[in-house]
This record gives sequence, C-alpha cells and structure tokens, in this order.
Amino acid sequence: MTHASGGGRLVVDGLEKQYLLDGAEIPVVKGVTFTIEPGTFTSLLGPSGCGKTTTLRCVAGLENSNGGVISLDGKVLSTGSRHVPPDKRDVGMVFQNYAIWPHMTVFANAVFPLQVSEGKLPKKEAKKRAMEALELVQLDGFAHRPATALSGGQQQRLALARALAHRPRLLLLDEPLSNLDAKLRDTMRNELRSLQQRLGITALYVTHDQSEALSMSDRVAVMNQGRIVQEAAPRDLYYQPADRFVADFVGRVNMIPAVVRDRDGDGDAVVEAFGTRLITPCPSGVAKGTDVTVTFRPESVRWHEAEPDRPNVVPARVVRVEFLGEIVEYEAEILNGQSVVGSIVGRGAPLNSPATGDAIFIELTPKACRVLAA
Amino acid sequence: MKIATIIAGAVIFLLLAIPLAVQVITAFRGPFLPFGVSSAKWSAENFVTLWELREDFWAVIGSTAAFVGGSTVLSLAMAFGLAWVTVRTDAPLRRVISVLVVVPFIIPPIVKAQAYLLMLSPESGVLNQLLRLLPGDLVIDPYSFVTMTFIQALTNVTFPFLMIVPILTSMDGSLEESARVSGASWPQTLRRVTLPMLWPGLLGVAVLTFILGLGSLEVPLLFGQESGQSIFALKLWNLISAGAGELPQYGLAAAWGCVFLVITTIAFVVYLRATRNAERRASISGKGFRPTVMKLGGWRIPVMILIFVFVLLTAILPLFALFWSAITPYPIAFSFTALVEQTQFGSFGAVLGDPEFWASLGRTLIIAGASATIACVAATVLAYGIARTRRTGWTKAMDLFASSSVAIPAVIAGFAMFLTFMVINPVIPLAGTIAALVIAYSYRVSIAYRAGYSATLQIRMELEEAALVSGASPLEGFRRIVAPLLMPTVFAVWIQMFVLGTNEFTLPAFLATPESRPLSVYMYAMISPRSAQLYAPDQGAAMALIFTLLVFAIGYGLQWAVSLGAIGRAKRRTPLLGVSSTPVVPPVVPGAPDTRAVAAQDLRDQRELTAKR
Repeated sequence: MTHASGGGRLVVDGLEKQYLLDGAEIPVVKGVTFTIEPGTFTSLLGPSGCGKTTTLRCVAGLENSNGGVISLDGKVLSTGSRHVPPDKRDVGMVFQNYAIWPHMTVFANAVFPLQVSEGKLPKKEAKKRAMEALELVQLDGFAHRPATALSGGQQQRLALARALAHRPRLLLLDEPLSNLDAKLRDTMRNELRSLQQRLGITALYVTHDQSEALSMSDRVAVMNQGRIVQEAAPRDLYYQPADRFVADFVGRVNMIPAVVRDRDGDGDAVVEAFGTRLITPCPSGVAKGTDVTVTFRPESVRWHEAEPDRPNVVPARVVRVEFLGEIVEYEAEILNGQSVVGSIVGRGAPLNSPATGDAIFIELTPKACRVLAA
Repeated sequence: MKIATIIAGAVIFLLLAIPLAVQVITAFRGPFLPFGVSSAKWSAENFVTLWELREDFWAVIGSTAAFVGGSTVLSLAMAFGLAWVTVRTDAPLRRVISVLVVVPFIIPPIVKAQAYLLMLSPESGVLNQLLRLLPGDLVIDPYSFVTMTFIQALTNVTFPFLMIVPILTSMDGSLEESARVSGASWPQTLRRVTLPMLWPGLLGVAVLTFILGLGSLEVPLLFGQESGQSIFALKLWNLISAGAGELPQYGLAAAWGCVFLVITTIAFVVYLRATRNAERRASISGKGFRPTVMKLGGWRIPVMILIFVFVLLTAILPLFALFWSAITPYPIAFSFTALVEQTQFGSFGAVLGDPEFWASLGRTLIIAGASATIACVAATVLAYGIARTRRTGWTKAMDLFASSSVAIPAVIAGFAMFLTFMVINPVIPLAGTIAALVIAYSYRVSIAYRAGYSATLQIRMELEEAALVSGASPLEGFRRIVAPLLMPTVFAVWIQMFVLGTNEFTLPAFLATPESRPLSVYMYAMISPRSAQLYAPDQGAAMALIFTLLVFAIGYGLQWAVSLGAIGRAKRRTPLLGVSSTPVVPPVVPGAPDTRAVAAQDLRDQRELTAKR
C-alpha cells in the first residue's frame, strides 16, 4: 500500500475561528498560518484551549472557519465564507477517543470509507484495500471480531487503518495517544511515525504532550491563545525557544531574571543574575542595561564539590533531591535566595548526585544559556 | 435531516398544543362546545360559576389534595423503603423482591383496581375474611376515603420504585463512606449526607408520581361512589358524562381542567428545578458505582415480614380475589363448601367465545402499536435534531415543550382530546374512531422524547464526524452510524409505550365508543353495574385475568424477542469469543425515564456540546 507521491501539500493561511457562547463571540483561532510539505509530519503543540484542535477540525471541515484560506494541493478547501464539506476533502482523521463504531466489526469499520459515496469502490477492490489497511496495523487477524472486543491500543490502530483505507492526501490526528497508558503510548508513537514515513503521507498531529511532538515531528508549531508562537524543527524548538512561553512549555527550564551589563561584537553578553555575572550568548539588538530572562535546561546545569576555575560558577546549597528513576533532580538555593533546578541523567545518576544540605557550586556553561526578552 | 426534524417537531406540537388550546378556549366560551353553538361567546362565565360554587370548589381542591397528596406520600414511602431494601441492604431474596415489585406494573391499572375492590368486598372479600379471623371486629370499608387513598398508593407504587432504584444505585458510595470514616453513625449519615444528597431526585419522583395520581381515573371511578365524588378525576368525568336529561357541562369541566393544569404546571416547574439542583449536588459520579450495603442484622425478620405483607396485599390476595370472582357465579365468600359446590369455569370459555372480546383485543393492539410507533418515530427524530443543534431559545423551548407531556395528567389529556375531536368533527370526523384513540395515546411522547434525547447524547459526536471524514454524506452517516446505535433504545421505549397503551384506561374512558373501545374499557363495562346488559362480574374477572396474562406475554415476549435478536447479532459477530458486549435491553419501565440521572447526564453532555461547538 503506497500513497501517490507529490500529493498532500497543506497550506493554512490566516485561519480565524470564533465560537458563539451565550451570544458573545469568543475568538479561538486568531490568524494561524503554516504550510506542511508533502510527506512530512507536523505537530500542533500547545496547552488545552490554545486552539490547536479547532485548527485541526477546521482543516478536516468539521468546523467552518470564519476567515483565512485552507488549501490542499492547490485546491481551496475553505475560505471564510465557502467550505468544502468534510466528506469531499480527501482527508483521513484519527479521533482522540478513536470513534470506532461499536455496532460494526473491525472489518466493517475499516471498509466503511471505501463503501460510502466519496471513496466508493467495487466490492472486491474495497475488501482488498480494507484488508491491506488492517495489515498495515497488524489487525488483519481480527477482521471479524466486533470492534468493541478490541483493547485500547488495538482500537487506536483500527482508527488509524480506517483513516488510511481510502488513501487520503492528508492524515489528521487529534491527540490519538492521550487515552493510552504510558508504555503503550511509546510503542504507538514509534509505530505511527514509521508508518507515516513508509507511506510518505502528509500528517498533521495535534497534541499537548511535548515529548510526542518532539519525537515524531519534522516540524512543530507551538500554539498559545489562538496563535502560533513558534514553528521550528524539534531540536531548534528545544534549544532555541523563541520566548518564555515556548521555553517553559517545551521541556523543563530555569528562568532567571537578569540585566545586561556588557556585550561584545560576536553575540555574547555579560549579564547580572543571582548577584553574580554570567557570560551567555545574546541575540543582537538587546542593548546594555536591558532587563532580560536567562534560561537554561536542568540537564545542562553542572554541579561541583569544589569551585572550578571557569566562568559562570555560583555557590549554592542543595535543598531538595528527588529520585525519578533514570533521572535525579535536585534544587539548589543560590545565596541570594533564588533557586536553580538541575538534573543528572543516566544509570549512575544516584551516585553522582549531591545530597540535601550539601554546599556545592553550580556551573552554567555559556553555550547552555539563552537570553530572552524579559 | 433538518426537514425531518421540523416535521417531527410540528407533529409533537400539534399533538400537545391543539388539545390544550381547545380546552382553554372552551373554558372561555360559555357552558357548551366553543364553536357552532349559537350561545357560544367569549366570557369568563365558567370561572365565575366555579367561584359561585365556592364550597364545591374548595371541596374538590381539598379532597383531591388529600387523595392525590396522601397516596403520593404513601407510595413514595413504600417505594423508597422497598428500593432501599433491594439496593442498599443485605436482605435475602433482594432480586426476587425487585421483580415482585415490578411485576404489578404490567397489570393494567383498571384490573388492579378491580382486583382490590374484590379483595376488599365487605362480605365476600378475601382480605376482610382474613381480618375476621383476627381478634377484634375489624372490617375494611372499601368505599371509605382512607381505603381509597391506600389503594391508589398501592396501585401506583411501582412507578416511583422504578425511578428511585436507579437514583439509589447510582449514588456514589464513597460519599457515605467518608461520612462514616469521619465518625458518623448510620442514622447520622443517612440524615446528614444521604437524604440531603437524594432529596432533589426524590422531589422529582414525587412530582411525577403526583401528576400520575392526579391523572388516573381508575381508582376514583371504582371506589369513589361514596367518598370520592370531589376528587378531580372523577369530578371531571361526572361533569361530562351527564345523566339522562342533563346537558354535559363542557365549559365548566374545561375551567376545572385549566385550574388543575396550572397546578401541574407549577409542579412541573418544581420538578425541573429539582432535577437541575440534582446536577449541582453532583451525587452521581461516573465512576465507583458501588453503593455501600447496610447490614440488616436483627432487622432482617421484621423487614422480611413487612415485604411479605406488601406482596400479599399487592399481588397474592388481589389475584386470588380476581380468580375467585371468575369462578363463582355471584359474589360469595371463600369457603371449602363454596369451592366444591359453587365453582364453575364457564366464564373463561364465555370470554374466549365472545367475539366482542376478540374485536376489542384487536383494537387494543392496533391502537397501542400505532400510537407507540407515532410517538417513537416523531420523538426520536426530534430528539436527535435538538440534541445535535446548538442551544438557542427555539431549541430550548421545543425541548421543554416536547418534555412537557409528563406534566399533563391523563384525565386532562383525555378530556382535552375529547373536546378537540368534538370541535373538529364537522371538518375532520374522527370523534369516537380508532384513529382518535391512536392520536390521543400518542400524547405520551415525552417518554420517547427524553429517552431518545439522552440516547443521542450518548452517541459521541466523534462517531458521526468519523463517518463524515471517511467520505460519508450526512444522510449516509445517519443511516449507517446513528440509526443502528439508536435502535436498541427506540425498541425498548416502543415496547414500554406499547405496554402502557394496552393498559390505558383513562384516555379511552373519555374517547371510546362501543365501536372503538379497547379491551380495558370493554372489561370495565362488564364489571360496572351501571352498564346493565353487559354486567357480568365473573366474566369481567375472567377477562381481567386473560387480559393480564396477554399483556405479560406480549410485554415480556417482545422484550425477549428483541434481546434474542441482539444476542443473535452479537454471536454472528463473535465467532470465536463467546463474550458479547451487546447492551442488555433495559427492562420495561413505566412513565417517563426522566429520572434524575438522565436529566443530570443530559445537562452535563449538553454543556460539553456547547463548549465544543
């Protein structure tokens, strides 16, 4: 089973959506713009209520947008006033609660898109394609079970098979893994990603789970309050967050208020934080004397028993140590009362961690720091 | 889809609005029919008459309040006790008890009333015979007001029982457990936690039981000759079935109808408030359906005795009395000599050989089946349309209106329908026909509407959206996804309404002629001394027994057939695993399935829906 290559370029331009609630218009999506290249995997990541699911449902045609243009391979699906109905959009969708039809068998669920008006195929061909789709997700052996006899993970895979059966140009996924337990979620994550790559299908994935977004996507668009705040490759998003919201939402982060004291030509600056001076990279355009926020990830914090002879070292006292399995996390209080969270990863973590009450030295290597506008 | 919804809405609107409008108009158009009579003109004459007969007015209000209020309180107390024992205690034979309590629901109310009357007959009644065995000169007078109130309570007890059981079952046991852990004793927990949590739901049940009691004619008609003349149902009946030489006072009766419609409307508002409060109290949780069970300990024996007395009074003795009456030529007390010398089984044969019995049975099935079908189709389509539309003033109003038939007592519905068919008869001659009865029976649409509404809300939107995204048109989505999922509920409600229809007496009492009368009315003619040439109490009793057996067979037979079908389908789907996840068809439940749980769930889902849209 392969998909026509070259298809599936989704362009969303200036999407607007308001809801009517008790007579008042509440804007949910405010000018969202992004493009998904054919065969790539893009995630919309954001907290609940940020408009990511609404954006997805507008793409699917389940909601009618109030403004902006959605087009797929150059065919306009939706403008603020004209909307192609969902059954004529050539998309497949996996729903959060799977939406498996309980009164049908596994096979009947999978073959449905090939029986109804849009994707209607001759009976034999439809059967062949549905079985192919079930094979893709290893459910071909379950074809004649009632759909409700499947486990959660199997229902999830059936939902995927159903969404792929009619070979849509675009696959939409609305938090499909959120109802699975942690272990199954990891397995499904890998399966989903490898299936998407094998089929070369364009995918738009909605999630509030940053590790899902980071691990599966080619591109991640972080949304907040109806807008995309940053769209980037997962690595760039993690190490170069555009603002405090992204830094905080994607992964754990220390955020320390600071003032720029000095800056040189090649992008480094000296900032004052914790009552001491730190050397850090700094975007151009941030002038001397500006209030900024210095951010750094817990795993990039190093700790020492004796003071090393390097820059960016501050003395601190350990106030909390938490054992989380493969990670040990500790909180150290700097002498001025602010605190820093650090973490040690790996098998030896418990041995390499400080103990509560220890007086230690915290080292923040310059390249681990990042300066954001306050 | 939209057109279908509008048609269904219009059908329900006409079904409920026109009769009530005709009744109100009649009340304001003089003493006779509102149109076509030269003296008819707009006036408040009827209400003035009501006020002039003040004494009569207050007698009716007082008598009705005592009768309906008293029987409601009694049946509620009995229902609560029985429900509590079956759901919340470790009493033995709990399942048997819950079946025994539910079974009388299937017995037609007119049969129950007749059986109680036979059981209580001063000379030959089996209960009075038993009482005579006891010391003290105790004889129950069947025609006293207190007896009548008791009988009404016993007749209606199944209805509140079936509504209270789910309330008690769905109550989150952990709330009581936490009270117990906080150091409260059982009685304290009951008083401080359980009852405050339950009372809105119980208030809702009380209101519906009250309206049911207000609307039923059977008990006042059979027991009320001496002390029940002022009970509303009988009053209304007497006003329009005037004796020879008198003119029926339609206008006055309509004015009475209006007065009591106002009362039930107020009660309905109380009901809506109560069920809304229930949501706020949130005593129903989706998880942990595990009501804590109370150990009866030493109370075991007294509780079992009370339950035995209840079953004796509501099932064993009445059925025995009915049977005894069927096999004796005239009322005689039970004795072995009588058993040996006087009994004959000819009445059963007479009933089965009576062509009018078969004709009225046929009519009963046609009327019940057709009205259940009309109500179910219209109500389901409308419920789907409303549940899937964004809440606006219009949909809210339609929702309330379609739910409102529970607020209309059957006597008022019967009377208003009667007036309507009289009024439209010159144009559309339906008065006295089977069609008129079909339309009248369909007035109970709210039962089907509420069930269809909550069933629709239980079908998650995603299931339909998945069909759309898969390329199905909205109509295909409805036909292939929604309709099959709604079917089990629709079937269950259909069976329920069909059984209600076969049992119906109050509505046809107002509407039927000898040519269109269903079995319940024909049977009444046999046992009513007023219908001189038909009067044959032994045949009446035999007919009542056959009637009851038929309703049982039909009700449970249909249910069995439906569940068999469901199991068959599940088996076909599951060739390997024997486990089926097919929902079991709910038992035949009377009245509105408007329990608090459903209402609360409706609200929650509705909110989710509004939030999502």
